[in-house]
Amino acid sequence: MSALTLIARDELWLMRRSRVSVIAAALLIVLVVIAGITSVAHQSNVADTRARLQAQVDEEFDNQPSRHPHRMVHFGHFIFRPLPPLAAFDPGIDAFTGNAMFLEGHRQNSANFGDVRQSSILVRFGQLTPAFVLQTLAPLLIIFLGYGAVARERGAGTLRQLFMQGVSAGTLIAGKLLALATVAALIAIPAMSVLIFVAAQPGAAAGPIALTAAGYLTYLALWSIIVVLVSASVARPRNALLALLGLWSVTVILLPRIAPDLAATAVPQPTRLETDLTLQRELRAMGDSHNPDDPVFAAFKQRVLRQYGVRRVEDLPVNYKGLLAVEGERMTSELFDRYASEGFARQARQSATMDAIGTLSPAVAMRRLSMAAAGTDLAGHARFLDQAEAYRYDLVQRLNRLQADAVSFEDDAAKSSDTAAEQRSRIDPHHWHAMPDFHFAPPEPGDLVRRASPAAVMLLLWLLVPALLLAPAARRLEGVRS
Amino acid sequence: MIAFKNEWLLFRRSRLGLVMILLLAALAIASVVAGLVEVDRQRAAIERIHPLQKQDVSAIANWVTKTGTAGDAAYFTFHETWDPPSRLAFAALGMRDVSPYLLRVRALGLESQLYDSENYNPELALPGRFDYAFVLVYLAPLFVIALFHDLISGEREAGRLRMLEATPGAGRRLWVRRIGLRYLLLVASLALPLVAGGIVAGAHLQGIAAMVGLTAAYMAFWVLVAWLIGRLNIGSAASAASMAAAWLLLTLVLPALAHVAITRAVPVNQGVELSLAHRDAVHGAWDIPQEKTMAEFFRYHPEWSDTPPTDGTFHWKWYLAFHHVADRSVAPQAQSYRQGLLERDELTRWVGAVLPAVGVQAAFTRLAGTDIQAQLTYQDRIRAYHTRLRTFYYPYLFNDRPFTEADFAKAPVFAPG
Repeated sequence: MSALTLIARDELWLMRRSRVSVIAAALLIVLVVIAGITSVAHQSNVADTRARLQAQVDEEFDNQPSRHPHRMVHFGHFIFRPLPPLAAFDPGIDAFTGNAMFLEGHRQNSANFGDVRQSSILVRFGQLTPAFVLQTLAPLLIIFLGYGAVARERGAGTLRQLFMQGVSAGTLIAGKLLALATVAALIAIPAMSVLIFVAAQPGAAAGPIALTAAGYLTYLALWSIIVVLVSASVARPRNALLALLGLWSVTVILLPRIAPDLAATAVPQPTRLETDLTLQRELRAMGDSHNPDDPVFAAFKQRVLRQYGVRRVEDLPVNYKGLLAVEGERMTSELFDRYASEGFARQARQSATMDAIGTLSPAVAMRRLSMAAAGTDLAGHARFLDQAEAYRYDLVQRLNRLQADAVSFEDDAAKSSDTAAEQRSRIDPHHWHAMPDFHFAPPEPGDLVRRASPAAVMLLLWLLVPALLLAPAARRLEGVRS
Repeated sequence: MIAFKNEWLLFRRSRLGLVMILLLAALAIASVVAGLVEVDRQRAAIERIHPLQKQDVSAIANWVTKTGTAGDAAYFTFHETWDPPSRLAFAALGMRDVSPYLLRVRALGLESQLYDSENYNPELALPGRFDYAFVLVYLAPLFVIALFHDLISGEREAGRLRMLEATPGAGRRLWVRRIGLRYLLLVASLALPLVAGGIVAGAHLQGIAAMVGLTAAYMAFWVLVAWLIGRLNIGSAASAASMAAAWLLLTLVLPALAHVAITRAVPVNQGVELSLAHRDAVHGAWDIPQEKTMAEFFRYHPEWSDTPPTDGTFHWKWYLAFHHVADRSVAPQAQSYRQGLLERDELTRWVGAVLPAVGVQAAFTRLAGTDIQAQLTYQDRIRAYHTRLRTFYYPYLFNDRPFTEADFAKAPVFAPG
């Protein structure tokens, strides 16, 4: 047996003999298991609830009685954001966004009923998920188990003995690292089993899951190296522990909190109401549908009359009010889309700023990789909102065209004052059946991997820095000999 | 006094201690400044809305007054409500980053307007904000660890402990002085920036005093933990590791476990169910006889029951009536939704009674008016205002009175708390 494995075995034996170490490691493993079980249960529960609600509202939509199509435009449709399979491992921002969205004509509603507004302050303490345990708690355990690995030998004077027996400082550090990495791998086993379980679920793709697994193993290896490096660089175990605790507090607790504040200040976000008011103002500037002499709508009318070759709207073969609804929706949606893409761009800039500040912390890169691969990041939410808007627009315009084609202009004009006309303006419910249901198109696995890649590169760079510092640290340690 | 001064001289000589105190003070100052900036930003956002809102209403008034149809005014005019941050909000921003403090409502069904979300970046909300409460709850205990982990064991390792304990009386006084000094420095480095922030924000003395009291009590708890662990006689490094483990359990692991338990114990799906039921009630009104809706409405507003009946064609008074009837029909769900949120909050308070980190955070957000209770109070104000708003329009609709330019200015104005 080589000196390296002997040292590693010795270190592991010492850890196993220390009751505190064993309890700490066991506690963490229990935590990962609890987090895994509750997260998987929560994910499937939420996914079931949303799927059930979606089926329920789809059926309700289809079962609406005879109605004027514009009534259906405002009856609208509810859609529920589905939860990707990897959310069982890292739910990311799921709790921080609304998950039920009401879609109707000429309005863009918010996604409502997010957990963050329904969960008291506790949700802000962090959610117990495998991702949280690995990102936040596991480094602390590695610190507890490893801070004394080299510093202890140095403090107790056993370092000199080892060197005299011909063990090089490099072998010593490598042995200690091997021991610590073994424990880190042990912690990772339950978390990796959750990933394997997720991989067996329908809709799960291998690429993002493999990247997630590789990312977390890199992250744990990184912390093992940092711990051994610091332990080899200071004279006393206590100093190693304090330095490591300091490093952990700053990179895992403090920086992730400061970064969003700085990002929010750098790229201010207007309130929903302010956006709404400026949007309304711009909408009025585009044309006023309440004003019969409005130039924009007058021009539209002329265009329609010319197209059909008639003189009056009453002579059109289709219902002019329906055409007007189609045109109005097109105009407002154009504006919505512009505001929405501005909003997305602004939030993406905020997140990029946050990530840039986060380069100082491997935990931020880890979180980014994990959420991006799971599809539970801002981009994943934006994808849902994009598809929701596309579906909303399509649904509303189908209904508006029904108004143009299936409701006569006379009935439509008289429906407010004539009950018989009102009855005739209601169209048969089979039209509602013909409307497509909302189906969220999940992102391509390759897309998720591509989005998670920059963070993966960042993590590898992070790994490189302490790894390259190991050799100089070993040389300095050799110097202690004399 | 001289002994205390000597203790201070001794403390000043250990660079680690001094650096720690200054660092904590710097973090506290930064968090207070960040909180004040955020609160100012929220106030400015509210201020910016008023003129925009005026323009919006006058643009609607422009065309509505041409016909004077009161229903058009009621349907198209949104009315602003706002929830200004309290003077203490800077210390604990709480939920104000994820729930709206500005909301416009119409005289139509409130239950489909009340739960709208704010626009915010969820990736920024996920880690939480950097405010004073965060520095106190999460970071300050770590400074206790740095300052206290070798207080006893350091003396033991230097071989002075036996001597100190052999001196009757003096030993105890020494510990009181030594711990007292460090404790006071910790509390001062936190509380002074907090008090300064409170003065800048113009907060009430009582509120600031309560927050300072909480700060002192929370720090005392951690110093006590440090002292107890220090008595265990396990060496400096093991003490530090044990304190860090205690911190990990009390501020991260147990609150997260409690969150899982509470979420499972009190499910709140009523929000979505309420929205679906409300939509059915509103749109179902078009398919039932108008008299039925009106009869139901007159049960809530008998003062209008003598007005002429509707004739089956569209009338705005019927339109507003069925919106109100829809609100009433989902009142039980709204109540149980609210009840569910309060129940979760109540359970959190129980958790806070056991876990100091949760208790302090809950108390801070309560004092700052940034917790779920404050959210529900804002919703209550919106409800009360919405009632004034509806009943403001009813006389025009039920008495067939035209709605003029001057009437737009008569609409009730929201009164924030």
